[in-house]
Amino acid sequence: MNPVLVASLIIGGLSGVLSALIVLVDSLVNNYGEVNIDINNGKKQLKVNGGAPLLITLSEQGIFIPSACGGRGSCGACKVKVLSDIGPILPTEAPLLDTEEIKQNIRLSCQVKVKSDISIEIPEELFIAKKFEGVVESIKNLTYDIKEVKIKLIEPPEVEFKAGQYMQLVIPPYEKINEYTQRAYSISSSPSQKSYVEFLIRLVPGGIATTYVHNYLKENDKIELVGPFGEFYMRDTDADMICVAGGSGLAPIKSIVTDMYERNITHRNVWLFFGARSLKDLYYVDFFKDMEKKWDRFHFIPALSEPQPEDNWEGEVGLITDVLDKYFKAKMDQNTSKEGYLCGSPGMINACIKVMTTNGIPEDKIYYDKFA
Amino acid sequence: MKMTEELKKAAENMKPGVITAEGFLGEDERTLADIIESDEEKVRVLNINFYEDLKKIKYLLEKGKEAFDEPVTVDNKWLIKVDEARGHLPCPFEDGIFRKVNLRIRNLKNNEEILLSELSIHLIEKHHFFQGKGSKFRVDPEKLKKVLEE
Repeated sequence: MNPVLVASLIIGGLSGVLSALIVLVDSLVNNYGEVNIDINNGKKQLKVNGGAPLLITLSEQGIFIPSACGGRGSCGACKVKVLSDIGPILPTEAPLLDTEEIKQNIRLSCQVKVKSDISIEIPEELFIAKKFEGVVESIKNLTYDIKEVKIKLIEPPEVEFKAGQYMQLVIPPYEKINEYTQRAYSISSSPSQKSYVEFLIRLVPGGIATTYVHNYLKENDKIELVGPFGEFYMRDTDADMICVAGGSGLAPIKSIVTDMYERNITHRNVWLFFGARSLKDLYYVDFFKDMEKKWDRFHFIPALSEPQPEDNWEGEVGLITDVLDKYFKAKMDQNTSKEGYLCGSPGMINACIKVMTTNGIPEDKIYYDKFA
Repeated sequence: MKMTEELKKAAENMKPGVITAEGFLGEDERTLADIIESDEEKVRVLNINFYEDLKKIKYLLEKGKEAFDEPVTVDNKWLIKVDEARGHLPCPFEDGIFRKVNLRIRNLKNNEEILLSELSIHLIEKHHFFQGKGSKFRVDPEKLKKVLEE
């Protein structure tokens, strides 16, 4: 027999044996059999095949834990309390867990694998989060780097959410990106509009999701969403609401303000400060000015940090924190109780918290979402 | 420069979609070791004061952060734009996790512009990795010198 053919047959045979061996070892090593997940002390019991990360396992059972990074272990949003012993904190978890969280057995559900029976605690509201199929109804440029994306829901056809909450967009593979991922964006539309949701998405250079939305997503495209999630929403009090937004952080504030107006919650004073550099960075100005005309206790204060000569700007000038401080001292009623609502970059939020606490708002009355 | 196991692992992490949308290597077909060595040589030839430049970059980053994600003019010499996004990015060399913070620096005199991130600053400082040719966050030493000149 031809020696080349013999060699080929031998190599082929060995490859087949090795492949079968790999499959066999994999099935043995990673086969944890059926395991039980107890959620919230028996409220829900799941029997699942072990081996996968907890985040994925739960999502396959219709329970969706927030994950702004799609399970890569970079956002720290998927924290759950694990009541069972599942081993030490992993190196991939440690940077995103503080000492108190470690003490309380908080773990990243995208990093821990379900290898045996496990008990966990999750916020009750996560039981209502769902996966939605939708279609892009419209995409509008609000500024040179912010798009408004409106998505009509198809299945389920409606969503219930609190104004201020967020959903996760499922980003499909594209170009060199070869796997699905998810990113979180605040809903900018009102909860009264149950059959669609709207987002404001600012392009982040190099960002997987924002690059997709800005450069590849088209009207009539199908898209999946997961949610709703989040604890940034109007608290039911009579305190004045001092809202500060930057960039796409206007999204949840727009939802909250619109919802309040629609529900006739107009007895509260609401101040909305919106910071930008120059006129080309502002958007929705007419919308909020119209709201001022309809709602005498609503005050919209846009401020530019570096207005350009061509802007012919006659409004407030300066960093939004400086404008906020000025209004606290000179224009707001000093005798009313107040709450803070912040959405923007971590730097803006941290700076605004300082201004607010200095002006008498307790830190536990300042609510924020460190990104839209 | 030899492709060590550490560099091989880092190169795998630099592929598109692993950490960022477009990865760290762009269209560069050289090995990671060769990319690093080549840029180290370029820094020497250009007589770039490596640590002074990094210090200046960090100064500009802090100034940009003070503008809360809006563009800002710094020292009447640079237009700075910092973007902070939700989440973190791990270093492909697996030695740190960094907030998603991008820094765009434009020199107002010569109009040269460069895009960095907190992660890419770390990559330059600790690993002398300026990213591959064609990468969105590629920091060409020659361009960096022009952007930072006063």
